[in-house]
Amino acid sequence: MFNGTDEKEFSTRVNSARLADYVSKHVRLPCKVLKMDGERITVEASDGGQVTVNLAPNADVLDTFIEVVGRVINPTTVQMLACVNLGSDLDLKLVNDTVELIHDPRFYSKMFH
Amino acid sequence: MSQYDSNYYSGGGGGGGGGYLQGGSPFSQGGSPGMRKSEVSNSLRPFTIAQINRATQAHTDAEWRVDDAEIGQVSIIGQVVSVQKQTTNSVYVLDDGTGSLEARQWVDSEAEESTSGGIEELRYVKVNGTLKSFGKKRYINATQIRHITDPHEIYFHILESIYVTLLVERGPPSNPAGGHSAYSAQKNAPSAAAKDQFSHLPALQRSIIKFIMDQPPRDEGVHVALIAKAIAATSGEDAHNISDALDKLMDEGHVFTTIDDSHFNVPS
Repeated sequence: MFNGTDEKEFSTRVNSARLADYVSKHVRLPCKVLKMDGERITVEASDGGQVTVNLAPNADVLDTFIEVVGRVINPTTVQMLACVNLGSDLDLKLVNDTVELIHDPRFYSKMFH
Repeated sequence: MSQYDSNYYSGGGGGGGGGYLQGGSPFSQGGSPGMRKSEVSNSLRPFTIAQINRATQAHTDAEWRVDDAEIGQVSIIGQVVSVQKQTTNSVYVLDDGTGSLEARQWVDSEAEESTSGGIEELRYVKVNGTLKSFGKKRYINATQIRHITDPHEIYFHILESIYVTLLVERGPPSNPAGGHSAYSAQKNAPSAAAKDQFSHLPALQRSIIKFIMDQPPRDEGVHVALIAKAIAATSGEDAHNISDALDKLMDEGHVFTTIDDSHFNVPS
């Protein structure tokens, strides 16, 4: 199920604005599910931007808040590889502040890559 | 994987990599002068997996270091990528987005398996343990593994890892200037402080406390007759009211009796 993520590869946590920097790379996108539409869902990333997610064949999207582990197709679309259900209560502002700190140059190369 | 495992067992006994034993590393550190057993080796510090994968070790018995700072026990949060149960231990491969790392938990025959029994793939777990290496491979010798039930803990862990890394790098934040002066003010002017601290009390009770505090400090405190006389003189209250006020102060713990029931003092 998790073949897409090879050991050497990172899956950095991102918000919608950061997707453009990760095209064709793996990311983790914590988000809120807005709309389910067959094979694809629309989610709201932690910075409020909307992202289209193509579901993995056997994905279980159960909760309001999920973390999409996937590959970035383009700055507004992610191909899901796995889905982590995060429950019905998540402070997206806190998540976004955390995502921004992860990408802060003071910490990114030292702690998150 | 199976080859790795058989290597592991044959090498484990002689190589000193044996799970629990190495935790008592004060003895293996003996080479350093003065038998310095650092306090760090007993501490538990949150990390990202990328930090763990960058940790270095001078030789196989040396302490691990991250950014040149010694580390003791480590705490990480990651997603379980795979679970492999074996007779003597379980191996979990964890990924937290910054890298991946193996965690091994030894099966304790005495304890129930309740702690590790239900660990599921794809879910986030928190792992506490010590960093070990076997050959070129490093892993966490886990003392504790549990599922994350509140997703905020994942982000808290990231923020705490950043905080602790900064703390180790720069030292603790300097104390706010106010802290010291507030303390010394209280020392110099106890009655002024009493005013603030006991401002919620009725005037009579407050004046009793102020009176006791203004006396020269003695362990046995102040005799009740002295209190009654002084308070009666300043407030005009009768002895009965003063006695009631003292009882109330006693009940609330603001004053206490010392050598006998007639001597009162205030907690310092």
